[in-house]
Amino acid sequence: MCLAVPGRVLSIAGEDPAFRSGWIDFCGVRKTVNLAFTPEVRAGDFVLVHVGFAISRINREEAARTFAFLAHIGALAEEGITPGEASPGNWDDAA
Amino acid sequence: MKYCDEYRDPQIAQAIAGRIANATTRPWVLMEVCGGQTHTLMRYGIGDLLPDSIELVHGPGCPVCVTPLELIDQAIRLAAIPGVTLASFGDMLRVPGSSTDLFDVRAGGADVRVVYSPLDALKIARDNPERQVVFFAVGFETTAPANAMAVWQAHHEGIANFSMLVSHVLVPPAMRLILQSPSNRVQGFIGPGHVCSIMGFGEYHDIAREFGVPIVIGGFEPLDLLEAISMLVAQLEEGRAEVENQYSRSVEYDGSGGGLVKSKKAAWCCVMSMPRMTRSAALAWSRWKCGNRPNASVRWCSRAKRSQLTVPHSANDAHP
Repeated sequence: MCLAVPGRVLSIAGEDPAFRSGWIDFCGVRKTVNLAFTPEVRAGDFVLVHVGFAISRINREEAARTFAFLAHIGALAEEGITPGEASPGNWDDAA
Repeated sequence: MKYCDEYRDPQIAQAIAGRIANATTRPWVLMEVCGGQTHTLMRYGIGDLLPDSIELVHGPGCPVCVTPLELIDQAIRLAAIPGVTLASFGDMLRVPGSSTDLFDVRAGGADVRVVYSPLDALKIARDNPERQVVFFAVGFETTAPANAMAVWQAHHEGIANFSMLVSHVLVPPAMRLILQSPSNRVQGFIGPGHVCSIMGFGEYHDIAREFGVPIVIGGFEPLDLLEAISMLVAQLEEGRAEVENQYSRSVEYDGSGGGLVKSKKAAWCCVMSMPRMTRSAALAWSRWKCGNRPNASVRWCSRAKRSQLTVPHSANDAHP
C-alpha cells in the first residue's frame, strides 16, 4: 500500500465529483479507480494510482518508466497488479 | 525499458557517486523518510557507492511499522468477534500484535480480508449488509484522503455496517520528533516525493528553517536517490539549509498546471478535514458498539499522537 502505480485512463464514468471513476489500464491489468482527487483528468491521460485513487496526473514517459521500475523491483503484486498479466510499457495495445 | 534503464544506468550512478565523494570533506548523517526509498537504497546497495563518511540512517517511513501496538491488538480483537469482517492492506496483516497477528486470527476462522483500497472494503460492506465491516486504515498523507473519501461515500450512501479503525500519521511531525531528540544525529533529509505531490512543500520549508537542516524532496529510483544525496551534501558542505526538489519531474507536468494545483488542493482539504469527518462519522455510527463490549468498541482517532510515535533506534543511537 506504500506505492503509487502508473496507469492510463481508458474511460471515465460518473457525474458526481466524489464518485467519478476511471477504467484504468495498468499495462494489461484493468481496474476501476476513483478520480475524485484529479478532476482535471481526461480519457487518455496517465495517472499515478494509490490505494484505488488517482493522486496525480503524469506524462507518458514518466508513467512508462515508473511502471517498468516497479515491475523490475517486484513491487506490483503487493499493489494488486498480477505481474504475469502486466506487460510494462505496453500502453498502445490498451488504447 | 529504456525509460527505466536511464534511471538505473551504472555509469551515471558512478558519476554521481564520484561527484558526491569529491564534494564530501567531512562526515554527514542523512535520513530518507520514505519506506519506498529505503527499499531502493537496500536493493541497489546505494550505500556501497558512497564514501564512508556519508552515513545513511533509515527513517520511519512505513505506516505499517509505526502503527501503535495497541491498535493492532484492537484490530485483532475486532476481527475475532463473530459477525465482523476486518479488512486491511496486506502488509498490515503480517504485523505482530502483543500475542498474535491478523493472519493467525484468520487461520483460526476469523473473516480477515486483504484489500488494495478502502473502497474495496466499502464494497464488501455494501455487498454484505449482514456483516459489520471494519477497515483498518493506516497510512501517511498519501493514504489519508483515500480513507476520508471512503468514509464520506459510506456516509453519503447510508451504509451503516462500515467502520474504520484509523491510525494515520503525518510525515513532518515525525521529522520534527527526530530533530527535537537530544541525541539526534540526522543532519539532512531526503523528503518523500509522493507525500509532497499531495501536500506540497510548505511544512518542509518551516522545518528546514527552524532546525537548520537541508531537505531534498527525492524520487524512488537509484539515480533519484543518488542525486538527492548529492544535493544534500552540496547544501551541507556550503552551509545551506534549504528545501530543494530533486523529484520535480513528477510535479512539473505542465499540461494544465492549474488542474494539478486544484487537485492537490482538493486532496489537501480532504486531509485537513479528516478529524472532523471521522468524529462526526463516529457519532453517526456509534449505534454499533461491537456487541456492547466496551473494550472491543471501534476507536476513532484522526491520527496517532506524537507521543505514540517511536523514534527508530537507528536515528538516535550509535549506528552499527
